[in-house]
Amino acid sequence: MQFELVEEDNINVSKQTYYYDYEEYEDDKGPATMIEEILAHDAFPKLDELVIGNWGAWDGSCQPIIDGIIDNKEKFSHIQKVFIGNMDYEACEVSWILQGNYSKLWAAMPQLRELTIKGSNELVLGEICHEELEALTIICGGLPVSVIQSIQNAKLPKLKKLLIFIGVENYGFDGNENTIKELLAHAQFPELTELGITDSEIQDELTEVVLDSKFMEQITTLDLSNGTLTDKGGALLLEKIPQYPNIRKLDIHHNYLSVNMAKKLEALPIEVDASEIEQSWAHGGRIYMNALLTE
Amino acid sequence: MGAWWQDLYECAVDRMRQAVILGSSDTKRTIYLEKAAAQEGVSVTLVDWQNWETYHDLPDAEELLVKIDPPRWTSCSLAKLNQLADGYMHELEQLSRLAKCRAVTFLNEPSVIAGLLDKRACKERLQQAGLPVTETIRLSDCSNDGKLTVEMLLEEMRRQRVHQVFIKPVMGSGAAGVSALRWNARTGQMALYTCALLDADAGLINTKCLRRFSKAKDILPLLRQILALDCIIERWYPKAVHQGCSYDLRAVVQEGKVDFLLARLSKGGPITNLHLNNHPLEITALGLSEQLLEDIAILCRDCVKAYPGLRSAGIDILLEKGHMRPRIIEMNAQGDLIYQDIYHENVIYSHQARMIKNWLQMEALKEAL
Repeated sequence: MQFELVEEDNINVSKQTYYYDYEEYEDDKGPATMIEEILAHDAFPKLDELVIGNWGAWDGSCQPIIDGIIDNKEKFSHIQKVFIGNMDYEACEVSWILQGNYSKLWAAMPQLRELTIKGSNELVLGEICHEELEALTIICGGLPVSVIQSIQNAKLPKLKKLLIFIGVENYGFDGNENTIKELLAHAQFPELTELGITDSEIQDELTEVVLDSKFMEQITTLDLSNGTLTDKGGALLLEKIPQYPNIRKLDIHHNYLSVNMAKKLEALPIEVDASEIEQSWAHGGRIYMNALLTE
Repeated sequence: MGAWWQDLYECAVDRMRQAVILGSSDTKRTIYLEKAAAQEGVSVTLVDWQNWETYHDLPDAEELLVKIDPPRWTSCSLAKLNQLADGYMHELEQLSRLAKCRAVTFLNEPSVIAGLLDKRACKERLQQAGLPVTETIRLSDCSNDGKLTVEMLLEEMRRQRVHQVFIKPVMGSGAAGVSALRWNARTGQMALYTCALLDADAGLINTKCLRRFSKAKDILPLLRQILALDCIIERWYPKAVHQGCSYDLRAVVQEGKVDFLLARLSKGGPITNLHLNNHPLEITALGLSEQLLEDIAILCRDCVKAYPGLRSAGIDILLEKGHMRPRIIEMNAQGDLIYQDIYHENVIYSHQARMIKNWLQMEALKEAL
């Protein structure tokens, strides 16, 4: 088992990533052996945040890890933040990460405040009902409608931050702008202040959907980054953002804006990140643009 | 320089002792070494590769110090890679032969340059010296005359439970043909990162653009052509990460000293070669521990020691993600051109200029005595 100290002051380690390297994986370590080793780790009782890195994620689902947390829920009762699937492309393609079913985790971790999930393959959120969760983030190359619907119907009265990567059809996104329209129309997150609908190849359309949603009245941070936002979406933002004085931060980095439009947006009297302007390319009479994470 | 040394130095020049770059005019290698030499007050004579290939002779001086730079390869055809490498090997042999009948000293011996061009041989030599390298995947199936097919590769990956590998033409440089393959034996999913491209007219070509292929119908034909080049297969280690970018290191080691150490960051793919517009970063920005930097320096020195006759080497080093264990990816006897150096202090070529100057002075002193 590898331990990666992310925040350390030599006395209080509050966050730790646990993962297997390739040698351990080849020695038959995997998701089924991980929980026991985490529980045996000296630093574990002091952690606030549990980060699970690579478990051989291309070869087996993280379900044994989720089940292990549920089965040992008392021993995990001090964990307030969980990230399952924290690995970069050097370790595994995002679309190959075999996720799991989180349906029973909500009840097993009532103290949980933040949950981050990377990968959407085999991901099931089930019926989400949690009194304390403040942040939900899903990073993936394609988010299935079934997962979006779970979020749409979620009972998360304290949710402050929702960040989802929409991704592309090839890697699991089987919806369209109406899917996100429904999500934002039906979801009830009275405390939501940060909304991120990101990493989409229909980012302009989703920008319009978000700007027309009820959450615009309450959020302070809007994240439409990592997608294919063009001047079309940029013009909408330029027109509508000033109507919402509650918005203090706009993240649209990784975009396909013109430099002129990016400058206009950056001139808005709020914090704007319009960096990483990408260049589209033409081939066979078509214009191609990529969202950041489409694998 | 004192008057005594000045006399000796001028005496050496008078007697036609020359330092020579065997290279190409108007290249950064030549320009920046000449610049450094001028600052040291020594002159170097450029012999163009074309002249050498025509006459197979060097300037008519009593003694020569020759720095061999790589010839210009203009073809992007990977099919010609082995042919070009064979031709280059032949020229290096000619240079070695010349040194047997004339007083020629090389900055890097031609035989060593040739030895390092062969990635397979280099890796074996370093392993024999007990040095940590990125491991080669050894094949259990030696049929098919040792030629690796896609089917053999996938079977070996399945057997060894290795799901990601690097594929490198044995004789390539500058990331030519280098590819990174992932294969999920359970699901059959594939992903290939490569700069190689199958062109309808030109066949297998090298580009300076890293692409990702994810469909077997695109990957398999490409992979067949790449494997036909004679490749080594290496384990793909997850590399250390800095601010969301994976990186490896390029050290330039001269006379046993690390003259330059640079991180090469890649945000969107596993191949970090600087030719691919990846991001170089000063080593200090990584916040590596003193101990790790010392370990890297010792490792670099040990690598050079494994090759007597190697005075200047570029060494690529991987730090494994997590435990930061350094492993040698490859060595290059002509890996001294680092833009981040030449455009700033030109440390690397300044050191070479001092080596040239010392050689001239030493020879002059020997002569005077």
